[in-house]
Amino acid sequence: MALDTPLMIFIAGLVIASAGGLKASRTDGEEGTKGMIDSGLLFSVIGLMSSGWTYAIHNSLLDSGESSMCASEGLVQCGSVIGDPEWNNLFGIPWGITGLLSFSLLFFLFLSLRMDMHAKWAESFTSYSLLAGLAGVPFVAFLIFVELTQVEGAPHICPFCTVAHLSLIGFLVAAHALRGRKQSGAWA
Amino acid sequence: MAAPKGRDDDVRLMAALVTFGVTSMILMAVMLLAPVVKVGPSEGELAPDFSAQAYSGGEWEDFRLSDLFNKSWAPGGDGDWIVVQYIDTDCPYCWSEGEMMSQLHSQWNQEVTFVTVVVELGIQGHDSSREEVEAFRDKTPYDGCITNSDCADRPGNPHSWIYIDDLNTRTSGDWELPGTPFAALLQPDGIVAWNPQQSGNHPEGEEMDGALQRLVGGS
Repeated sequence: MALDTPLMIFIAGLVIASAGGLKASRTDGEEGTKGMIDSGLLFSVIGLMSSGWTYAIHNSLLDSGESSMCASEGLVQCGSVIGDPEWNNLFGIPWGITGLLSFSLLFFLFLSLRMDMHAKWAESFTSYSLLAGLAGVPFVAFLIFVELTQVEGAPHICPFCTVAHLSLIGFLVAAHALRGRKQSGAWA
Repeated sequence: MAAPKGRDDDVRLMAALVTFGVTSMILMAVMLLAPVVKVGPSEGELAPDFSAQAYSGGEWEDFRLSDLFNKSWAPGGDGDWIVVQYIDTDCPYCWSEGEMMSQLHSQWNQEVTFVTVVVELGIQGHDSSREEVEAFRDKTPYDGCITNSDCADRPGNPHSWIYIDDLNTRTSGDWELPGTPFAALLQPDGIVAWNPQQSGNHPEGEEMDGALQRLVGGS
């Protein structure tokens, strides 16, 4: 599958967020903490956008049976994954919507921290962020399992779904690092 | 004692508003890019898709309802309409409807694709199996249709169209199945054209044969 523009933008976002997180992990004090929050925020934004994109693919597949937003044939494609009536939803809710809502929560937690990293609730918000990120891991594992074994013609890899999965992993790493900073007194 | 570093105002409300705004913008962009398609069994909605194993006289094979849809269909254009019928092989009304379905199929099979989805209702004595589904469709000897009758005695002819195994009733929720038998008529593009549950939209007393005559016509 050709690397189309949205996918390239998402991958670039993941690379920038990862590089930012790596740099922040080597920087002490408030500057490092802010960098780590920014990295997590960027991961959550990429997660939001990629979830939105998969929801758009879902809608276009329903509407016309095909989508110009992603390949529908081959190993790396979306048609067999997002277009599968049995696996493309969680209790009737498209996975794109589930992703949007989940990343909204993660975005809110990190944005709150970014806006006031010295607030009384900052410590609990770092814990909530980690827990919320961890809560998404079983879903990511399940979706990868579905992609590789359950959908029609499996295995398939949906690139935009993978971007969302990587965004969650990146966010989780950032949340874990922030919690470590908070607990070790290296927050600021 | 050092003064607290946190801000006096609580920024969480502002963060929530920003989050709401960002999420809304992404959702609006999605709607512009690919509007939401309403899926459901009501008239005017896209029929709920499903994939399951299907029997058409030979081996059970993969089947997906949307593979029958012709998305480029326009009213008046070519394309097979689709009758989706839900039955339970132990339901006496479904048993009786076998004859009417045979008649409808012989009259409309040039213009209409028939699909029968077999579910197992949660009623005592309603125990079905693929063998029973095959026997119900083919009208072959099998003791168990309508609980304890021979499937070979089913009214109507052997059915030549596709039967779907949904004995675990996975699709019945999406189709808001009111009971069995139930049959809806879909346009070739998969949009529900006639649902017996919406009788207010139809001429009084209209059944499937009338709906086929009115909507598909020409036979």
